[in-house]
Amino acid sequence: MKWLLALETEKDLIITCRLINIFRRKGAKIASLSLATGTESHCMMAVLETLEADVDHLFHFLRRMDGVQHVSYYRHEPSANASFVFVDAGAESDAMSATRFAELFPGARLIFASSGKFLFEVPATNIARPPLWESDRPEVLPFACIRTTRPEPQPQLGAA
Amino acid sequence: MGKLVSGSEILLESLKRAKVDMVFGLPGGAVLPLYDALYGAGIRHLLVRHEQSAAFAADGYARATGKPGVCLATSGPGATNLITGLTSAMMDSIPVVALTGQVPASLIGKDGFQEADTIGITLPCTKQSFAIHAAAELPAVIDRAFKTAISGRPGPVLVDLPKSVLMEMAEPEYPDATESGQTSRPNQPREWVARDIDRAAEMIVASQQALLYVGGGAIAAEAWQEVRELAELTHIPVTTTLMGLGVFPSRHPLSLGMLGMHGSYATNTAVCECDLLVAIGARFDDRVTGRLNGFSKNSKKIQVDVDPSEVNKNVSVDLALVGDARDTLQALIEAVKERQGALASESRGRWISRIEAWRAKHPLAYDRYAHTVKPEFVIETVSRHSDEDAIIAVDVGQHQMWAAQFFDFYQPRTWLSSSGLGAMGYGFPAAMGAQLAFPDRQVIAFVGDGGFQMTLNDLATIAQYHVPVKIVILNNHALGMVRQWQEIFFEKRYCDIDLNFAPDFAKLAEAYGIRGARVEHREDVVESVRSMLADREPCVIDFWVDPAENVYPIVPPGASLAEMIVEPPRPAMELEEEEALDDLWAV
Repeated sequence: MKWLLALETEKDLIITCRLINIFRRKGAKIASLSLATGTESHCMMAVLETLEADVDHLFHFLRRMDGVQHVSYYRHEPSANASFVFVDAGAESDAMSATRFAELFPGARLIFASSGKFLFEVPATNIARPPLWESDRPEVLPFACIRTTRPEPQPQLGAA
Repeated sequence: MGKLVSGSEILLESLKRAKVDMVFGLPGGAVLPLYDALYGAGIRHLLVRHEQSAAFAADGYARATGKPGVCLATSGPGATNLITGLTSAMMDSIPVVALTGQVPASLIGKDGFQEADTIGITLPCTKQSFAIHAAAELPAVIDRAFKTAISGRPGPVLVDLPKSVLMEMAEPEYPDATESGQTSRPNQPREWVARDIDRAAEMIVASQQALLYVGGGAIAAEAWQEVRELAELTHIPVTTTLMGLGVFPSRHPLSLGMLGMHGSYATNTAVCECDLLVAIGARFDDRVTGRLNGFSKNSKKIQVDVDPSEVNKNVSVDLALVGDARDTLQALIEAVKERQGALASESRGRWISRIEAWRAKHPLAYDRYAHTVKPEFVIETVSRHSDEDAIIAVDVGQHQMWAAQFFDFYQPRTWLSSSGLGAMGYGFPAAMGAQLAFPDRQVIAFVGDGGFQMTLNDLATIAQYHVPVKIVILNNHALGMVRQWQEIFFEKRYCDIDLNFAPDFAKLAEAYGIRGARVEHREDVVESVRSMLADREPCVIDFWVDPAENVYPIVPPGASLAEMIVEPPRPAMELEEEEALDDLWAV
């Protein structure tokens, strides 16, 4: 099962190092990892291959860590329930890619962008629309948000 | 413009504002500016003989007081010598603040003399680590370091201090008074809602064979009154983990002592047979559960823990109450009181009678008539003759388990044990730290001859500062627990457990200017213990105990609690005689 883990931390590299070390210690199998720097925080997105119990434990473990501001995790959901889409366009893509992908998901809100990796929140009305949703393109992964510490909608993180 | 002061002075003022009165440390090049400022600064500093002892002493101070313990080391080897102590504090959730020197900022990353990546090395063994870049950052960082150490699930925090920062002049801005000097922790998370408490109360009221399983989290949350109130209100027996010893009085009628690998037959059987297990600040550690799929199979489980990541980590629970243990138990007690009429007191009485029968069948026991000095007898004797508020520190191994089984505890914060990490060498320096916090109380360290040789160099420290720690060596001339495992699980293939080549500990103590004695005969035990406890001087007594004694019961590795080995196998001749007697009776 694929999971997307999104972390926002204080803008301190020690916390980022600590997180990466925790991934190593917990044996997380990371398929994709990206970092972005915002004005007040660092953001990390990781696509993991693991069991639900493990990702749930990781969520609770990370949310109580000093310096971690918010944690969310999303389950790979190739169905109409998905309301987020993660795109891994490769490191060579540029800022234009975000625009190009945004066109594929009309009305979608860009939440995260860094080094060719993007997370869009797709409005409910558009869920059935994107043709990429049910395609076999591995770079486009639809997700449903399972748990988050964010009480309010997620702002954009990282720079496109 | 305000007055410019050095980073060292800002640090010391920040420590004072955090109500730090004691620092355990050892100076070196990178922290010389700090030691210069420490001269006459009004904070007591205890010069240890090895930084590992500084970390253990800070841990002992923290466990005994509930306040963060502070240790201080120079850069490089000074910092790396703290690692075992910090890891132990991390495993047991003990608030320790470690201050480490670092090479000047301009030399970081250039392999300077005594440079080490302290932050990198300590990432996994601290709750948080702070690298200071400017003296002006110190007040806020130190304030946060202390708050982090005590908040939520407590733990160690490290602050790395480049020499250049300690020497830099800055105008400090101190935050409002920190709460770190208090033992109660601010802003504890609470994730349960009223209906969760109602559900827990209903589960408790409906249960007939319930058990409270209490760990170190109940001590960290200062929830000992609430544990007792809940137990007495519901007539539910209480078992504690190794970390939880002291949270519930050993001689209370509802006390079952410790559970797990070396828990008693009655306690472990009760865990297996109970219909409701209420875990309070306990983490279902492997030494508690044994084989997971055999652990308390028939019970519903409630888990109270401040750390959400502990819920369902090892054992799935039916209801989790994430929050501070004291806060949660207070709400739970009120909810139970509202339903008190529904408590099945008759079935609870039957449950307690069953446990008593198990206890009578297989009590914790040893050969009280042996001619040798039995280690359990030494521990019982110390227990009988020491004050009720005596603080007991232990190392790791057989003596630790015997102390857990045979010493009677009356109060929380009187048991210091490196329980999760199991660091040998912990007991003596931890006792030293506790004694500094409570100079008028009895502080006794039970150590083995193996562990004591790891940190005995701090005999010089207690002699220098007249720290009246009583050191009881249970000397079996071996790494006893390893020997026991090799005997039971490795077909007596004893490999490298022999510690017969050791110093004369009594003479060694005397060489440090400390009273030392050796006890080889059973009849001398009581008098030597009385004599040890009679004065306010440090003392080392080397008890030569029966080297063949083992800790029982024991749950074999990979086995469930129900598969515990209750007592040592008896000699074949004894069994034959018993069988012959049985035959006789059958006729």
